[in-house]
Amino acid sequence: MEASTRRLRTLDFFMGTASAAIGLYVAIEGYAIYVAPELATVERMTNPGVTTMFVGSALALLGFVMAIIGFIGSKTPLRNARQAIPETLRKPAFLRGVIALGCIAVYFFVLWGRIPYVAATFIFLAGTMTIFKAGAWWKIFLISGITVAVVWYVFGVLAMVPLP
Amino acid sequence: MSYEQIFLEVLKTLSPEYILLIAAGTFIGLIVGALPGLTTTMGIALLTGITFKFSGHAAIALLLGLYVGGVSGGSLSAVMIGIPGTAANAASVLDGFPLALAGQGAKAITISRSASIMGTLFGIACLALFTPILSDLALQFTSAEFFLIGVFGVMISGAMTGADLPMKGWISGFVGLAIALVGIDELTAYQRFTFDSPQLTGGLPFIPIMIGFFGIPQVVSSLSSEQEVLVAALDKSKTKLMEVLRHWKVALRSGIIGVGIGVVPGIGEDVAAWVSYGVAKKASKHPEEYGKGSIEGLVAAETADNSCIGGALIPLLSLGIPGSPPAAVLLGALLIHGVRPGPMLSFEFPAFTYQAVSWLLVATLFMRFMALGLARPMQKILTIKNAILMPIVAVLCAIGAYSLDIRFLDIVLVFFAGVLGILFNLGKYPPAPLVLGIVLGPLVDVNLRRALKASNGDISIFYTRPIALFLLTSIVLLILAQLGVFEALRSKFRKTRESTA
Repeated sequence: MEASTRRLRTLDFFMGTASAAIGLYVAIEGYAIYVAPELATVERMTNPGVTTMFVGSALALLGFVMAIIGFIGSKTPLRNARQAIPETLRKPAFLRGVIALGCIAVYFFVLWGRIPYVAATFIFLAGTMTIFKAGAWWKIFLISGITVAVVWYVFGVLAMVPLP
Repeated sequence: MSYEQIFLEVLKTLSPEYILLIAAGTFIGLIVGALPGLTTTMGIALLTGITFKFSGHAAIALLLGLYVGGVSGGSLSAVMIGIPGTAANAASVLDGFPLALAGQGAKAITISRSASIMGTLFGIACLALFTPILSDLALQFTSAEFFLIGVFGVMISGAMTGADLPMKGWISGFVGLAIALVGIDELTAYQRFTFDSPQLTGGLPFIPIMIGFFGIPQVVSSLSSEQEVLVAALDKSKTKLMEVLRHWKVALRSGIIGVGIGVVPGIGEDVAAWVSYGVAKKASKHPEEYGKGSIEGLVAAETADNSCIGGALIPLLSLGIPGSPPAAVLLGALLIHGVRPGPMLSFEFPAFTYQAVSWLLVATLFMRFMALGLARPMQKILTIKNAILMPIVAVLCAIGAYSLDIRFLDIVLVFFAGVLGILFNLGKYPPAPLVLGIVLGPLVDVNLRRALKASNGDISIFYTRPIALFLLTSIVLLILAQLGVFEALRSKFRKTRESTA
């Protein structure tokens, strides 16, 4: 079997397992809702636990089937994962992706709301463009500045959004 | 409402203000569509935030303009750099880019533009014709039918868009349905999955999830790739209209395919373009030319993906079920602006369908004139590095989501929806069923229980009513077909015939 297909099936095994786990959680919560004392006076058929159990059970079943397909397709998913993870971590594309997501996380969870929006956004833009070598520093500063000004004007002034 | 009154209502919404908004929407759509990394779905989601304070119908006119511009705008980058601006234009790359590399870029753009216009007009005509018919049919639907059509929509979207396995599409759809369960239950006011957080009592908002789910993975994958962009030069040749009209049969067939696929919930323009391309190649007298600059191939792809716009709006307006991911986000925008699509639309806003038709026609007209004019400036814009463009997209994602409800929760949702989107992309899980699941979740949830209440718990309500039986049978046959049951039976039958012969 091709290595790429085996890797995909390995991922399918783990994602299927995760889907089954989430589905099971939703279904169990659905049952808890169905028998909740606060809903004792509500007709069984209109109980919100009904759809919750239906969706959770379906998701659990589909996830379980997916996990089996993944297990059969990959044969040794745990071993494949142990081999694939270090290889993936060494790939430049993966590292660039992690850095990109990291920059977004810093913007959303560190800068947003803690410093004025204009400053936060400028720092994020200039920082990310610098990290990914968008061009000369003055170009980066100019583009970041213009972008922040346009966004501030369109959202803050025209759309009257109270910026953080 | 009489046709005269409907006509007057339509004229009211063709004022200079509306025309200007549609022009702006089409222009933005063409740029959004042309830029790889921005999709029509994202564009509609982002602009919904900006148009929040506009009057309802004005905002919808703008967003419809964006929809039209976005779907056809993607062909600009498909032709000029061989990268589709949106997934809907992926099939156009196969013949558009070779034409451009052969020095016929302007011809390729003119042909794709003309095909887009033909497709959009065909889709709009079908929208005007079939929406009232389907709306009248939908008035006969009860809760059982609405529940089953919701489930059918998720299942068929999953089956048709799951490139690897249909199971993945179904998981994607049911994850969407699960996300839609969060919040206060409509029937009993009981809180589900809110974890005692007041911010979650209203449920998880759709637009920030869409922005994160589509936008963040695109930003991350574009920044992680170091691909250089090759831009084909644009010649100055002019293409005669007859050269395009010569392929009217291909265009008509592609238009029908586009509308047909658009009507099916959650599938969308990209599937329409590929199916139409495949059919055109099979039916062509010169299939060997496909993939090397075939005008027929380009016409087939572009006509289908644009006619899908009208097709996707038919179930959206008549049933409240979107036919494509952009239509799904449009549904969110319609609800925000107080327009409830579905069978009741013809009572609450009787002229709305025809108003939408008129806005789409105006947008098509603007698309005709803007697209060609934008081609040369877009050549410069398309050479912008991802390292410059993608951080700007991330900023727009954040402010677009934040501007709806002015709360930090939406920023958090954008991030985590983005992480989910990245995982889905890695595992080749299609995004469209998740979108549909979130959109159809309330429909499925409420109508299942209403149907059971109406029948006093008797589940025969789901198979004794004719339309419900048809839908239930379709769901079962779909599952059996995707699991290979029919294929297995057919090969067993063939083996039995061969052995007896």
